Amino acid sequence: MSVAEPDTTAEPGDAGIRWQRPSPLLLRARRIQAGLVTVPVALAGGLIAGAAGSPALGLGVGLALVAAGLLWERFLARRVAAWGYAERRDDLMVRRGVLIRRQSVVPYGRMQFIDVTAGPVERSLGLATLRLHTAAAASDARIPGLDRAQAARLRDQLAVLGEAQAAGL
Amino acid sequence: MTGPSPGGPGPSPGGPGPSPGDPAPSPAGSPAPSGPPAVPDDIASWHRLHPLSPLVRAGRHLVGIGIFVLLLLVANQRQSGNDLVVNLVIIGLVLGAGVVSWLVTRWQVADGVLRIETGLVRRESRRFPLSQVQAIDVVQTGLARVLGLAELRLRMAGADSSGGRLACLPLADAEQLRQRLLSMTHAPGVASAPAAPRDAAGGQPGPSVAGPERPLFRVRSERLVGAVALSRTGAYAGVVIAALVVAIVLIGRPGVTASLLPVVIGVVLAVWRQFNGEFGTVVSAAPDGLRLRSGLVQTTAETIRPGRVQAVRLVEPLVWRALGWCRLEVDVAGPRQRRENRSEAQRLRALIPVGSRADAEQMLGELLTEAPRPTRRAPANARWKAPLAYHFLAWAGDDRYVVTSRGRVCRTTTWVPLEKVQSIRWVQGPVQRLLGLASVRLDVAGRRVTASITDRDAAEAQQLLARLPDLARAAREGSGAARGGEGSSAAPGAVNRA
Repeated sequence: MSVAEPDTTAEPGDAGIRWQRPSPLLLRARRIQAGLVTVPVALAGGLIAGAAGSPALGLGVGLALVAAGLLWERFLARRVAAWGYAERRDDLMVRRGVLIRRQSVVPYGRMQFIDVTAGPVERSLGLATLRLHTAAAASDARIPGLDRAQAARLRDQLAVLGEAQAAGL
Repeated sequence: MTGPSPGGPGPSPGGPGPSPGDPAPSPAGSPAPSGPPAVPDDIASWHRLHPLSPLVRAGRHLVGIGIFVLLLLVANQRQSGNDLVVNLVIIGLVLGAGVVSWLVTRWQVADGVLRIETGLVRRESRRFPLSQVQAIDVVQTGLARVLGLAELRLRMAGADSSGGRLACLPLADAEQLRQRLLSMTHAPGVASAPAAPRDAAGGQPGPSVAGPERPLFRVRSERLVGAVALSRTGAYAGVVIAALVVAIVLIGRPGVTASLLPVVIGVVLAVWRQFNGEFGTVVSAAPDGLRLRSGLVQTTAETIRPGRVQAVRLVEPLVWRALGWCRLEVDVAGPRQRRENRSEAQRLRALIPVGSRADAEQMLGELLTEAPRPTRRAPANARWKAPLAYHFLAWAGDDRYVVTSRGRVCRTTTWVPLEKVQSIRWVQGPVQRLLGLASVRLDVAGRRVTASITDRDAAEAQQLLARLPDLARAAREGSGAARGGEGSSAAPGAVNRA
């Protein structure tokens, strides 16, 4: 898997698109989330293996799980860097993914409603996730790690644009 | 909201036109305990449903309970009396609840809004603006058919709301009411020019409301039997039943085989449901859209309005292809019905459950004007990623439709009107990146259909992603401007880019 470029300069047709990035704090949020998963899992795995086998085995399993968490962390940076969105004249474009790369185009007129959510980790860092819903269940446009004020601004702006261009089913 | 009162045929006593949208509906439309149920002439006053409707609505449960009782009787013949009493009480409760709910349920059509009030303890008043109705179905369950009743189902545009149900009305009234409501859905908003005045003029009930219908397709029963047998459901059923037979022969202990019985019942039910739902499908063209009727025991009649079709899908499984059969389905905007007929909701509406290619071509012509053919094959690189499907991977598009085809075993061709596209996605997986490929997907409303332009050259996919939103917007604007009948006569100047 040659996932070469971690940074923004991506696909050939990107010339005219000005990608905006999520807040740099998103990486920290993701790291915290990864840590919050890894540490308990490693502890539990180590304890179980230690109880079932020998203490050395428990230590080994625990360390292996921690290593897996660290490996996961290596990918986080790329995945966070892959997020981007662009407000174009008639639609919003969102891109994401490293291994499987995706770009979604959602016309403003097709937005049915917009969610702004923030989990505990995101909230503690002042971040929020914006999610767009259309009538199609398959369209999955979301932008994580927006500054909370920026998320609110974007939400209102999208709502206005959506209302102006609303189209029926 | 809907300013002009629906071209009220007949006397509409509610005085719907100039009266302000009064917030107190219950005193305005006096309860009017109409003696005969549902006189569809003055639909502006309050009506009750048919008195037998609780029985019909409880019917499904009654059958279940009946089977349960029988099973109990067979299982332990001693203490069955006790269970019987319990079950009778349950039946009585179900029926009693039904009667109460019948007593407190009433409906009214005024100001272009269908209002249904129900609930004894928690009063509930639901409004269904007719201008937002996507389709109205007349459904007859088996018991309702025996009693000559039918249920009216309104399908609204929303994705989740369950839509309105009027269960049950006498069949003739239901048909008539459906016509009236449909003519009202035309009148305020969408205004399909030829249909509205004719319906409004057709005040007298009877032949004029039906409108001339041109038969298009009628499924052949024997072919449907073959099709169901050769379909995936049929194949599963065959496997399960064969397994059962083998088990009986090899093991021969009734206890073991009896434990397999639920599986068999499930499989048989699935086959039966498919057969029952698609038996006797008749499609005809009417002024307000395509009329679709089907069903053996439970019959359904619905009208598919041309502007509401979100996607058309032509399915050709391997075995069917050998026989020259195919299946044509449409996706119509509407809610996914949750609990009841789940299995029905998972499938699309089959206009042609099974038919020849010629049937499908004709129906396609009826649904889409100048449907393009998937002619643009996938690049040779795609062979490595999709060695089987490569044979059929193709797409095409003009300024109104995009068509894609894929699948080797079960070839699926999907047409999507560009004006219905909700969002566009570009996807590139790792293998595709190695081969310099990418896919573009067009989502339409609902969960079920996505037209996937799979495995294109990366440059072409990127270009598609850049161009399709503009084309879709142009199509939307075009259809918005020239809404009405088969207008929007943009010359199909194929905008296929290189």
